[in-house]
Amino acid sequence: MDKNLDARFERVEKALANLIDSIAKYNPSEKLAEGLVEADKELFKGLQALETHQNNYARIQQLREETAALDAQTKEIIGALWTMRKEVKNTQTTVYPASGPKYQFTTKELLDYARRISPNTLPPPGVTNGVDFGTPTPTPAEQPDDAAKGGGAQTPNTSFNGTGTAAGTPAASGAPPTPSVNGDMSSTHAQPPGFVSQTSLTSSILSDLPPLFKQAIIIDEGAVFVPWPDEFYIRSGALASYQALVDRNIDPKGYDPEEEEQRRKEEEAARKEAEEKARIEREEAERRMREERERMARERERNRAEAERRGSVATGFVPPPKTQFTFLDAGDDDDDD
Amino acid sequence: MSSEQASAGSSTNVKVPPPEPNALANEPKYAGSTRFELELEFVSMLANPKYLNHLASRKFFEKPEFIAYLKYLQYWTRPPYLKYLQWPGPTLKHLELLQQEKFRQDIISPDLVQALIAEGMKTGVEWHRKA
Repeated sequence: MDKNLDARFERVEKALANLIDSIAKYNPSEKLAEGLVEADKELFKGLQALETHQNNYARIQQLREETAALDAQTKEIIGALWTMRKEVKNTQTTVYPASGPKYQFTTKELLDYARRISPNTLPPPGVTNGVDFGTPTPTPAEQPDDAAKGGGAQTPNTSFNGTGTAAGTPAASGAPPTPSVNGDMSSTHAQPPGFVSQTSLTSSILSDLPPLFKQAIIIDEGAVFVPWPDEFYIRSGALASYQALVDRNIDPKGYDPEEEEQRRKEEEAARKEAEEKARIEREEAERRMREERERMARERERNRAEAERRGSVATGFVPPPKTQFTFLDAGDDDDDD
Repeated sequence: MSSEQASAGSSTNVKVPPPEPNALANEPKYAGSTRFELELEFVSMLANPKYLNHLASRKFFEKPEFIAYLKYLQYWTRPPYLKYLQWPGPTLKHLELLQQEKFRQDIISPDLVQALIAEGMKTGVEWHRKA
């Protein structure tokens, strides 16, 4: 392109020089002037071609840049894909036993079960076991490591939310969501700067209280949620009573402490009832005897009066009316006879 | 806590799981409870790390018959027994771990017990917040 243009410039220069020469020799030639005009036109065309060339070149540069950018992007994507593939390959996945049995259950059964066990699997609202939910919790992958390190042994994964147990996360769908508590609340709600929420204020006041007051005011203070049976449960269970019988040298088989107790109570009740019955009978007998005695006394009295009457009628003897001590002769029959 | 589980374990030298409660009409009773009730209670107690430690300290995990009993107790991982577990997570996890010799040896360590307790209590309040 440069050569092309240079040639045209030279041609223009030559034509110009020739024309000047001819003018200097006072012999201007029309032909030379036309040659100059021709050369100028050629140069102009050349310049136009140069412009096109430059434009094309700029475009080529631009396309090259684009290509480079796209190449970089492609490389990046491939790199990312490679990294991702590596990550996916390294991810620990739960291995479900391929040939393990599958158990059928209905939603109702699942929900019933969730409701039944929810007191044992869901902590009461406000009980956090000292876990601070404001800070990001460690990922589940880190926890077993900590547990294993703490134990000084390579005990396998001890996470409770782990693998293929059907009841791993039992109440997830069945249990009602727990209302968020204390400090948790202030972090979940967007608040304007400088605004102190009622909850956080209250919680800060509560946390400033002396321990003695805390126990009295905050119900859940010191309460912990234990996701397994506690010692009290273990000590008061059926196995404990089993052991108690063994300790007393009683064969637990077929021996029911409740039934024994029941039988003892029944015997006691029967004995008491018998005693009561005997007492009532005795009283009844006494009452009857008393009545009998009274009846006999009345009978005797009547007989005596009758005999007196009959005696007077038969003999015609009328005993003289007693003016004195009349009421005494009832007890002393001998005086009259 | 005493050695009740040993007596329960040895007295039930059967390999067949007990029948479900609705079929318990004529089940023999041991100290007022059926075999189903006793074994359910025992398997639930295994959820408590301290109890495991207690069992380890009484050297139960060294007895072959007790290990066989632990193996037998795995019927709790299957229906229809599964749904009677009151503390399913820790119970099943510990039952699974107890099948391993390594865990049976390690649980004597108070550090491991403390780690299990700490983690269990932490998980107990955290698991439902992750969703």
